[in-house]
Amino acid sequence: MAGEGAGASLAPSTGTGDSVAERVARAAAARPAPGPRRWLMERAAWAAGTLRIAWSDHLAKVGIVMLVLFLLAAGIGPEIRTTPPFESVTLEDGRIAKNLPPSRAYPAGTNRLGQDLLVQLLHGARMAIFVGLLAAGGGAIIGTLVGLTAGYYGRLVDQTLMRVTDVALAIPFLPFALVFLALFGPGLRNIVIILALLFWRSPARVVRSQVLTLKERPYIQAARAGGAGNVRIMFVHLLPNLLPLIFLYVALGIGGAVSAEASVSFLGFGDPLTATWGQILNSAFTAGAMRTAWWWVVFPGLALTLFVTSIYLVSRGYEEAVNPRLRRM
Amino acid sequence: MRRYLVSRFAFMVVTVYAIATILFFLLRVAPGDPTSRFVNEALPREDILALRAAWGLEDALHVQYLRYLRNLTLLEFGTSFTLREPVAPVLFDRIFNSVLLLTPALVLMTVLGVILGAAAGWRRGSRYEQTIVFVSLLGRGMPTFFIGMLVLMLFAYQRQWLPAGGMTAPGELPGRVEMLMSLDFWKRMILPGVTIIATGIYGPMLLMRTSIIEVLGEDFLEVLKAKGLPGWRIAVHAARNAMLPVITSTAVTFAFIIDGQVIVEQIFSWPGAGRLIVQSMLDRDYPVLQAAFFLVAVSVVVANLIADLLYGYLDPRVRYD
Repeated sequence: MAGEGAGASLAPSTGTGDSVAERVARAAAARPAPGPRRWLMERAAWAAGTLRIAWSDHLAKVGIVMLVLFLLAAGIGPEIRTTPPFESVTLEDGRIAKNLPPSRAYPAGTNRLGQDLLVQLLHGARMAIFVGLLAAGGGAIIGTLVGLTAGYYGRLVDQTLMRVTDVALAIPFLPFALVFLALFGPGLRNIVIILALLFWRSPARVVRSQVLTLKERPYIQAARAGGAGNVRIMFVHLLPNLLPLIFLYVALGIGGAVSAEASVSFLGFGDPLTATWGQILNSAFTAGAMRTAWWWVVFPGLALTLFVTSIYLVSRGYEEAVNPRLRRM
Repeated sequence: MRRYLVSRFAFMVVTVYAIATILFFLLRVAPGDPTSRFVNEALPREDILALRAAWGLEDALHVQYLRYLRNLTLLEFGTSFTLREPVAPVLFDRIFNSVLLLTPALVLMTVLGVILGAAAGWRRGSRYEQTIVFVSLLGRGMPTFFIGMLVLMLFAYQRQWLPAGGMTAPGELPGRVEMLMSLDFWKRMILPGVTIIATGIYGPMLLMRTSIIEVLGEDFLEVLKAKGLPGWRIAVHAARNAMLPVITSTAVTFAFIIDGQVIVEQIFSWPGAGRLIVQSMLDRDYPVLQAAFFLVAVSVVVANLIADLLYGYLDPRVRYD
């Protein structure tokens, strides 16, 4: 569901990433600012540590494996099976291979127009990752800017921005997305824009509350005493400590964005010339495939379900890795 | 409490007003002329201008804006482009149909979710709890339309147990009372209802499970145990205290429930407001689109308010300030 990302994101609102942020903050306060190379190495070591902790959790392990499989399918799948996704394939006797059930030649079967569904599914994986990253990334950037500004400047700026966020949170996703697409034209580009425009709301809130606690730390005061300006403090001193939290929201957002895109495409506001999972299911639905071709419904639906689940499992594992307090439940 | 209510209500009004304003300006900056659907392009230019003037589209922007706000407040939604009928009666009729489907489904979903989730929390570590958690994990990842298509495939086509869609048999137009009395109507409600439940039950279920686990450590349960109450009565006490977040979260997730409803109505051809929204967007029926979106925004804001108030009512420890 579209709400999945935002719904799940309500949970960690208090103190997520605190421990990591604290550790990093203490380290940053203790020694002079490291060079970019050293910073990069520290980050890499931290990422490895996070992965190790996540790997120790069985469900996260399953999620990581599934996600890697999806990445492989998206990356090299369309290069191996090079038929264009909307080309009708023909049988040996020259007839179009319509409505074929799964077989060795066509493991996911073919649809009513004789298009190879496996090819469409592989392209769909590519589009899912593309849409998810762009929408969640774009939304996280907007949310971070809003939350960082509100939390850092406080007072009137904070009040204004947070009221705006509250209003934005009351906007129902699907109806608004449909209005937007009806007005500005359906298609993948506009879907990504509207997803990013609706996704920034929860990251903005969480980033703000995190900034509120971070900005009182001694190392920020030290930076200010050292003559750092507001913008420098926000982006050089605060932002790096917010990154673990922001990554979590990007991760959650990818799952939300992919299922939201699928819903919108399913309702007929997608791009009929791009093979996304939602688009495949839209054509399956309009062709009445529930009656005639189960594979046309089940495979894209399963791909969606497993992708969203794997994203959820990975972000859950990541969340537990950066916030040890969650590990008890 | 009164001060809280006043400020909460003021915020509600501001929110609805802001959303209506966003919609107004979206309609103005959108490419294309909204009247192009209604006016034949071949008409002479003067005639088109005269028509636009008659609709008030040639007035200054602020005049249009004020008129728009006035009409929304008075629920004067204008005439549908495609149906050529006033929007308000059609819309309210469709909303009624949606509520007819949604209410029993939501009640059943919450009750089932609470019971299954409570049992899972109560029997922590059992095979049953693991099954519940695993099913929820997968179910949460399933998009509504996939569940709906599976339900159709299994129960309407493969086993022809129940009708595939619509609220009444095709070609029949019974009156409202007659419809509610007929068995056919209730049969038609089962599949979409099952889809709504199968999409949304995981939230309440998982929440109830964690909530019970949290309550399990509390002192009052020890007291009940010491009093010698049977296990199931202790469970009821625990459940009552754990239910709070479930009920409020159902109200908070109302916006997502609407999303699901739009899709379910599309799949099962249920003539509700969600289907009307999708159709009006596909047809670019601006008056319907405006009105429907406005009402959805209002209902989401009201649901949030109800959630807040319920919270205070169910848990007297909550203070409003």
